[in-house]
This record gives sequence, C-alpha cells and structure tokens, in this order.
Amino acid sequence: MHPYRGRVTEPPKTAEPAPAPGPAQGPAPGTPAAESPPRTPAAVRRRATLAGTAVSVLLILAIVFGSRLLRDFDSALLPYAVATVFLAFGVAYRYTVWISAPGARRLFKQGRRSFFSAANFRKAPTALPKMTATYLGFQKFLGARSHARWAAHQLVFWGCLLAAAITFPLTWGWFTFTSSTGSGPGYEMRIWGFKIIEFDALSVLGWLMFHGLDIAAVLVIAGAAYFLWRRMRDRGAVTGQRFAYDLVPLIALVVVSVTGLLLTFSSIFLHGGGYEFLAILHMVSVVFTLIYIPFGKFFHIVQRPAAVGMQLFKYTSRRKDGEALACRRCHEPIDTAPYVENLRGTMRDLDLGFDEWAEYCPRCKRVLRGNAYLDHVKKGF
Amino acid sequence: MMGRTIFIDPGRCIGCQACVSACRECDSHRGKSMIHLDYPDEGRSVASFPTVCMHCEDPVAPCAEVCPADAILVTADGVVQQADTTRCIGCANCVNACPFGVPKIDLQAKLQMKCNLCYDRTAYGLAPMCATVCPTGALFYGTLEELQAERPGVQVADSFTFGSTTVTTGVAMVVPADKVQWPVPGGLPVVEINGKDVR
Ligand code: HEM
Repeated sequence: MHPYRGRVTEPPKTAEPAPAPGPAQGPAPGTPAAESPPRTPAAVRRRATLAGTAVSVLLILAIVFGSRLLRDFDSALLPYAVATVFLAFGVAYRYTVWISAPGARRLFKQGRRSFFSAANFRKAPTALPKMTATYLGFQKFLGARSHARWAAHQLVFWGCLLAAAITFPLTWGWFTFTSSTGSGPGYEMRIWGFKIIEFDALSVLGWLMFHGLDIAAVLVIAGAAYFLWRRMRDRGAVTGQRFAYDLVPLIALVVVSVTGLLLTFSSIFLHGGGYEFLAILHMVSVVFTLIYIPFGKFFHIVQRPAAVGMQLFKYTSRRKDGEALACRRCHEPIDTAPYVENLRGTMRDLDLGFDEWAEYCPRCKRVLRGNAYLDHVKKGF
Repeated sequence: MMGRTIFIDPGRCIGCQACVSACRECDSHRGKSMIHLDYPDEGRSVASFPTVCMHCEDPVAPCAEVCPADAILVTADGVVQQADTTRCIGCANCVNACPFGVPKIDLQAKLQMKCNLCYDRTAYGLAPMCATVCPTGALFYGTLEELQAERPGVQVADSFTFGSTTVTTGVAMVVPADKVQWPVPGGLPVVEINGKDVR
C-alpha cells in the first residue's frame, strides 16, 4: 500500500509469521483492515434503505393528512416539501448506517438503556432534562473551547432552529395564516386546521410573526460570518480544513440567509423588483442545504442528541458504582467499569486483540512500552 | 511506515523537554503540548521515552475504529488526524483504546486532541516541531534513506506486539540490528504463557 512498505529494514515477511506468542492469531488482525474499504455491509445498507423509505413514507403521509388532504398545501412550496422528503430519507439512511458500526452501536445501546431505565429516572429525574438543556440547547462545553465559538454557534443554532420551526410546518401545509376580516389586519394562525391564535398584523406580535425568518437570518449570518472569518484566520482551524466539509456548510448558511433577507428587502423597498429571481435563488440554496444535511458537517445536528445518551450512561454508571475502574498498574481511575467494559466489547467486535490493554491508563501504557524497550530491545538504552 | 515520517530513537533522548515545549507552539493545537515524554524507570535510570502518535496502519488507527462519532479522519497520506471538533463527543474511547497511550482529552470542552504529525507543517514539507528542535536526533523526520544516509547502518522497526496482536505503524523506531527480526514489544504485560501464570 505504501511505497516504503517493502523497504523497511526488517525482512518484509516479519510482521506476519514471526510474533512469538500465538502465531495462529498473527494474521487475524490484518483481515478486518483489509476488508475495511467497502465499509457498509449489504445487510446494513438494506436496513438503512428500509429505514429511509419508512421515514419518508411517514413524512409524506404526515404532509397529506397534516395539510387536510392537501387543502392547506401551498403548491408554490412544493420544491421545499420534496426536499424535506429527501432529507428525511437521507437522515434515516445515514443514521442507520452510523449506529450500525460497533463503536456507535454499543454506546447507542447503553445510552438507550440508561434513557429508558425507570431506576435511573427515579434516582436522578433531573439528569436528562438538565443535560438536554445545557448540552443540546446551550452547548455549554463549547465555552471551554472559546467564548466566541460558543456565541457564534448559539447564533447559528437558535437562528436555524427558529427558521426550521417556521418553515417546515409551512411547507408541509401544517400552518396556515388566514384573515378573517378580508384584507386584514386581523389574522389567525391555524395548525392542522385548528385555530391557535388570532393577532393583529400591525401589532408587535404580528410583526414578529411575519418577520421571524428575517430575525433568524440575521442571527445565522452573524454566527456563520464569524465561523467563516475564523476559518480564514485561525491557523488551528485552517489546518486540514476541507472545502466541501468545512466551508460549504457555512457558505450555504450565508447564501440561504442573505437571499432570504433580500426577498424581504425586495418586497418592502423594491415593490417586488427581482423577487422572482431571488425566490428561485433562495429555493435552490435551501434545497441544496437540506439535501446536504445528511452527508457533511450538518450531520452532527442529527448525531449530537445521541451523545446525550452516552453522557447519561457515564453519569448513571458513575452514580451506581461510585467507583471508577482503576488502572491495573498505577491504580489511578480510568473511567467507570461499565464504560471500560463497553469499550472492550467494541474492541473485540473490531478484532482489536489487545482489549485488556484498556485497563491500563495511557501513561502506564507508555511507561510499560518504555520499560519493554529498555529491557528487551536496547538494554538500558 | 510512511514515506517521510518520524523515526524515534529513545537511546538518544536526554529528556530535555525541548520537544514538549516546541509541540506547544504547533499552530494546530497552540498552547497545548501533544507529545508525551515519560521517564519509565524514574529514580533508577535517567532513561526518557518520547511518544508521538504512531499513526497506526494495520490495524488502521484503532482510535478511529472505536470512535462512535466517526470523528477521527485518516488522510490519504496515512496521517491520523486529531478529532474533528464538530463530531467529537468527548467519550474517551480513543484515549483508552490507543495501544500507545497517545490521545489526550479535554473533558470540559468534550474534545479529544492528539499529535497530528504537525499537519500544518508536514503537509508543506516542513519537519514537525518536535523533530525540528530535538537536539540529539532522538526524533528524526525524513525518509528512511535520509535517516540511513545520516546514520549508516541504522535499523528501524515499524511493528509492535500487544499480546497476540501486531500493530504496524506509520512512525518507526530505531532498533539494534539483531532486533530487527522481531516486532518491538508494545509493553502489554505477559500474564500467562501456554496457560501458565507468569506474573
Ligand atoms: C440547528 C442546529 C445546528 C446547526 C445549524 C449547527 C451548525 C453548525 C455549524 C455550521 C458548525 C461549523 C462551525 C465551524 O465552521 O467551525 C457547527 C459546529 C459545531 N456544532 Fe453545531 N449546529 C447545530 C446544532 C448543534 C448541536 C445540538 C450541537 C451539540 C450539542 C452542536 C455542536 C457543534 C460543535 C461541538 C461544533 C464545533 C464547534 C467548534 O469547535 O468550534 N451543534 N455547527
């Protein structure tokens, strides 16, 4: 594979037949690595396709029934609605593939178990809501990376959440805004045909209702602009940065928000000048962004909630046994015993034949290797 | 073993910590040193032992394999990158699965960090910080030919045993000529041989 493989000073065959203890297992660890390129097994792909199809069919049904058999469906928004169906397929497909890999599958299962455990709930009923708020909502941990990154991410996060809360139900025909008094200013908002609120279009509430997307756009532009600036200037962020993975999502957010704001600008200040063109530009950028979500950086939006399960698992196992597993050599705590056992299971699934090594802390692993080098390779250095 | 890579010779290491300081200056993780410098037999021996990421090739990057969030990318040149900041959930799987004890974790920031072979430098043909400042050549960066041109007759190994598993790495270690035939012991204590407890 590597041009230098054959030029190592050791005889090329060494790695396979030589290891003294248990030569039968020598080649075994190489096998999974060799098979790794076609990473998704056919069974997983089938399951993922099934999940994707099921979720998109459910969404289509929800659109049809939620819009009262398409009576409330706005056909001008059809491309957006179609994009959300593709999004649903992509997310379900990628999610299934993702949680089928050993590392994710095991932690996911443990997280689900902690999540549904009545005993856990009784012992710490506030743990889950607290983690959901501080971790998923406010992303407090980002503050430890840098305050600016936290603030920018909060802007993008709340902006996108607000925008999604408004636009998704609208494109699905779940929300309607109708005027009971002919030309306004009295408006009523209905969800699935049921009246929720009545408001005056000229009141503050009315202004907020009709400009929610503009507010969202301003939040997103501020946050995304900071991240873009950081990706030009911060040497750490620039290292290994890839255009499609790191820059495209930020550019997409900015384009969506700017074209959205320009639509408002056009209708208020230009009497609708250029509206049609802008509407198409906006639609294309939104459809692209929605379909891109399952594949690139945005997939973390779907992945992150599962990490709450991981934390709940660590948290509850810490509470239950109180004691962490101690390093076999120095007796410093490594992590909770169920966590280490879970990791060892993952390593065995992956044919990483040194899973007992997980019971030594990283420093002892290095020191033991140093000692082995001292004793067996270059005596006393 | 990668084309241009780090060659570690603990026999030359004087434990001066220059690499630790230089690593801290690396732009991709400024302020945090990723190299480990251990004194394995402290009190009895002055031996010191530097550890950088070995960039495992076979099995390819155990840290990346156990990652539940697909956060660790192995680039086409064989470099195992630090965790992607967007994906890493700070679960510490990589920290405890790495056979060489390399990755570090910031539990507050829920972020793993590790040696990435100074990707901001090596991607442009510069040597990593640690190898640049090492005064004794314990950390050498270059090709095997370049190493051998400087140190005639030097032998290196790029496989390590942990129990019954052999891990082949992208970074190599200098070994005495008579030890080239065997993979370097990874340090996992041998607990039993043929069913007999030898602790
Ligand atoms: C609507 C939902 C969300 C959107 C639109 C969003 C968007 C983004 C974007 C565009 C980035 C890239 C920033 C960069 O260029 O570095 C990012 C980074 C990140 N996101 Fe999100 N995100 C969302 C939800 C979440 C949630 C729920 C979490 C976790 C609880 C999260 C955690 C992160 C983390 C850890 C980063 C890396 C930030 C850094 O280290 O600088 N995101 N997000």
